[in-house]
Amino acid sequence: MNAFWWTSGHLGWGVFALAAFTGIWGLFFDLCWRLLAIRIGRLWALMTIGWMLGIGCILFGFYLAV
Amino acid sequence: MLLLIVQLIILGVLAGALILWGCYFPYPSPLIRGGLPPRKRWPETQIRNWLEMGGFQQAFLNYFYRDPERTPTPGNNILAPSDGLITSAELRDGVRYLVIALSFWDMHVQRSPASGSVIKVETKGMDFMDGEGREFAFLREKPCPVQKRIIFSTDSGEIAVRLITSLAARRIEIWVKEHEAIVRGQRIGRILLGSTVVLELPATLNISVLVGERVKAGETVVAWEMSPA
Repeated sequence: MNAFWWTSGHLGWGVFALAAFTGIWGLFFDLCWRLLAIRIGRLWALMTIGWMLGIGCILFGFYLAV
Repeated sequence: MLLLIVQLIILGVLAGALILWGCYFPYPSPLIRGGLPPRKRWPETQIRNWLEMGGFQQAFLNYFYRDPERTPTPGNNILAPSDGLITSAELRDGVRYLVIALSFWDMHVQRSPASGSVIKVETKGMDFMDGEGREFAFLREKPCPVQKRIIFSTDSGEIAVRLITSLAARRIEIWVKEHEAIVRGQRIGRILLGSTVVLELPATLNISVLVGERVKAGETVVAWEMSPA
């Protein structure tokens, strides 16, 4: 088990960041859907791109840190 | 160990928020409800469901029954009797029928359009739909209209305010009595979950609002009388 998943008796910061970011992003998606006058297809595309960028940043940051 | 507990608490809170979101979807979860504007906080489909079920969320009822203070615009112009959207300004037989449609999110307390006195308070129930009323578009839309009509004597002539509701919520409160003196902008009644208020004005008055405009009870000037030269 490497440091991404588990480290020093707690969850690895990599998997923790992925889970937290995905949860927050999902709730943010719901908020955007309710408040913005935007087509759902376009919103889905934007939010998916945003999620992939976020995940990419987390993975890249973890890669740099270790 | 402490870090693991903190991590699990954070993830647990997030999981709880997502479960709550899933339970309430497509309506907003209680976590975000407070931050949304009223129309988004209680979507129309949710309110119609409550109407069918006969139960309402207390927070919505508190919002619905609000009764804010209003400051009448200075002057003797005619004020809107209700919050809402002007949907028609039909002129018929010397009377201007200014129809104001209320949405679920509008304030439902009605106010006097002008100073004067109450001549009469008429109650019109089921019989009314087969008689005088049915030719009016604002009554044709109602499956079973129930109305209260308050007639005022004012300096601008005889003015009437109709409070209309339908079978779904046939409750109208009138807070003024016949022969009572009233001041401009005074509270005159409330429609509980009702939907239409009609202001009947003499044709001699000039209308200052357009169809499609939003008005506020006791504040927006809807008509004015040309002063004699």
